[in-house]
Amino acid sequence: MKRKSLSVLAVASAAGLFLAGCASTEAETTTPAATQTTTTTTTEAAGSLLDSVTAAGSVRCGTRDALPGFAVTNDAGEHVGFDSDFCRVIAAAVLGDANAVEMIDLETADRFTALQSGAIDVLVRNTTWTATRDGSEGANFLQPTFYDGQGMMVTSDSGYNAIAAMDGAIICVAKGTTTEGNAALESSRLGLDWEIRSFDETDLILEAFLAGQCDGWSSDVSQLTGLRSAYPNGSDALTILPEVFSKEPLAPAVLDGDTAWAQAVNWAILATIQAEEFGITSANVDSIRDTTEDVGILRFLGAEVPGSDGAAVLDPNLSLPTDFAYQVVKQVGNYGEIFARHLTPLGLDRGLNSLWNDGGILYAPPYR
Amino acid sequence: MSPQLSTPSKVPFFRDIRTLKWALQILALLAVFALFYWLYGNYQENVAKSSIQTDLRFLDNPANFTIPGNDLDQSQPVRDAFVEGFLNTLRVAFIGIALATILGTLIGIARLSKNFMVRTLGTVYVELVRNLPLLLLLTFMNLAVVLQAFPRIENAWLPLDLFVVSNRGIAIPWFIGSPAQLGIGILSAALLAFVVAKVRIRQADKSGKQDRAWLVGIVTFVVLVIVIWLLFGYGWELPYVDGRGTTGGLRLDPSFFALVASLVIYTSSHIAEIVRGSILAVSKGQGEAADAIALSGSQKMRLIILPQAFRIAMPALGNQYLNLIKNSSLGATISYFELTQIAQITVGNGSPAVPAFSLTLLVYLAISLVTSLVVNFFNRRLALVER
Repeated sequence: MKRKSLSVLAVASAAGLFLAGCASTEAETTTPAATQTTTTTTTEAAGSLLDSVTAAGSVRCGTRDALPGFAVTNDAGEHVGFDSDFCRVIAAAVLGDANAVEMIDLETADRFTALQSGAIDVLVRNTTWTATRDGSEGANFLQPTFYDGQGMMVTSDSGYNAIAAMDGAIICVAKGTTTEGNAALESSRLGLDWEIRSFDETDLILEAFLAGQCDGWSSDVSQLTGLRSAYPNGSDALTILPEVFSKEPLAPAVLDGDTAWAQAVNWAILATIQAEEFGITSANVDSIRDTTEDVGILRFLGAEVPGSDGAAVLDPNLSLPTDFAYQVVKQVGNYGEIFARHLTPLGLDRGLNSLWNDGGILYAPPYR
Repeated sequence: MSPQLSTPSKVPFFRDIRTLKWALQILALLAVFALFYWLYGNYQENVAKSSIQTDLRFLDNPANFTIPGNDLDQSQPVRDAFVEGFLNTLRVAFIGIALATILGTLIGIARLSKNFMVRTLGTVYVELVRNLPLLLLLTFMNLAVVLQAFPRIENAWLPLDLFVVSNRGIAIPWFIGSPAQLGIGILSAALLAFVVAKVRIRQADKSGKQDRAWLVGIVTFVVLVIVIWLLFGYGWELPYVDGRGTTGGLRLDPSFFALVASLVIYTSSHIAEIVRGSILAVSKGQGEAADAIALSGSQKMRLIILPQAFRIAMPALGNQYLNLIKNSSLGATISYFELTQIAQITVGNGSPAVPAFSLTLLVYLAISLVTSLVVNFFNRRLALVER
């Protein structure tokens, strides 16, 4: 009798604690005193993340492994890829050293928790910017580095030539991603009755796909292209179907409420786009800085611009060194270079990710 | 009677063992509270900084994902997905506990067999399985056995043309009709069979003749199920390969199979040891008495030894059942859509982590406590009434 009442008591008290926790949260956020505390913390944090990164001398960049083209660990143990390079872009801009970055591999399902807990400073992990993530994950998404869309990959001998033909198929996706929802939506939109299985890691999907447990592998087309290039049976054994059924702007994210840090990361990325527009590459950045008379380029590279009252360097007060764009381009390269280095070899076209004056949608605000 | 010895000097309160004990307890309690207060304060601060939800409102958001083998729509709320995950956890728990108990008991008995072969096989099984990490066993079962050793759907194995076995799942013949119909049919048959068995037992007790009352009950049950099924015109359907999947029957998810198989194999190795120990703990005289009244080997085991052994085994078995239920959360690593997997997916899709996982923790806690209550109930019912 006693034991029974004890366990009932335990459940009740645990439930009570949990509910009390929820209730008190709501109560606290509505009282003026609490609001004030919140504001203070936010301002404190706003200074502190940029400051703490500078003080630590390295950027903790949340990234991943095993995604060819975007982020893989090579034999020397270095992270190589498009996302990895954008981590370096941020380090080059903030600290002046592209190698002052600590790459932290994250599982898909853990990435926002890592961001929220402050285990990482910035998340550059082919993450789609969505309203829900912006609103309820405490993430602040910045300039997308890659405009992607979800597609479907099948084995070439499966006979599928269009998504609409895949009635009743088993579709394998990564767990905790927008991919799951998009696939479910597409399935019900086309009335295809898909069975959608979600896996922790790309390696597990690969195993299931190789064993014939999945008919289709759905993910962002860029990812599929990378995975196809590294398929054990050769890339010709796989076909990526032509349809793309979602918008996937892959963007870096920082924690909400830290404007200074957000600006710094945002402009580091925008600098790569602007540099390409100016035609500045890592190879010619020095000679351009020394020879050009273009005021826009000189401002951008943080060089002295001759003015009416003597030469001056433009400082837009972004809390970044004035020569951050020079460091980014010199040490990592412009957007086109980064793309050509990692994604072109996979067979990805620039497409939407061309500059705005070249048929794409990459457009950096003016640096002045 | 010397007065010097009988009047001890009064111990000061700070050296009084009772005060010290109380003080230590209160200090420990305060330390624990302080720790939680500090953690909770940090949580509040972090949450306020990044505008993360802290309540259960997320349960009303659309789930945005589907669950294999379930017609949950992706526009249904997260709440419904959690309920499905909960049900899937219960499915694994029920079937896992039943099978692990049966297999464990058989192996436990086998370990005490006089037959060298049987005894050695039992020992090898127990020593092999219980010394493996469960996660490894599960990964092996999924990647090596189900994915690679089961045939692809193109050349699925069709034993007796009743089953379809492939690495996309195992399809078995199943009733046509709603689960409610099926449940009512089986329940009423079970009830009738129980009554028949009880009556037979009473008659046997009166006449003193040996009677296989429970066997009669089981036969009655099967016959009744068939009669009810014929009477109400339920059918059953056989599964068959249909393109890249199966149609008809009941399809068991491949990850369900891998999870249940691993849990049963693992837990049964522990249950076997409990059963073996409990049988050995039954007084030797009981077995000798059974021999003396000329009971056969199986009668001795069934009527004399096992009932007493299970009385001893019950609390330890309860622990194993709890372990099995909690270990079912490993299903998330092989894409079985139980509670943990649902929590992980929904957190990945924008539900706040702390409330979502707190809810999941509470559900596991509730399942475990209910299981404890049931086990304790049976334990009290079975326990020797000592006077």
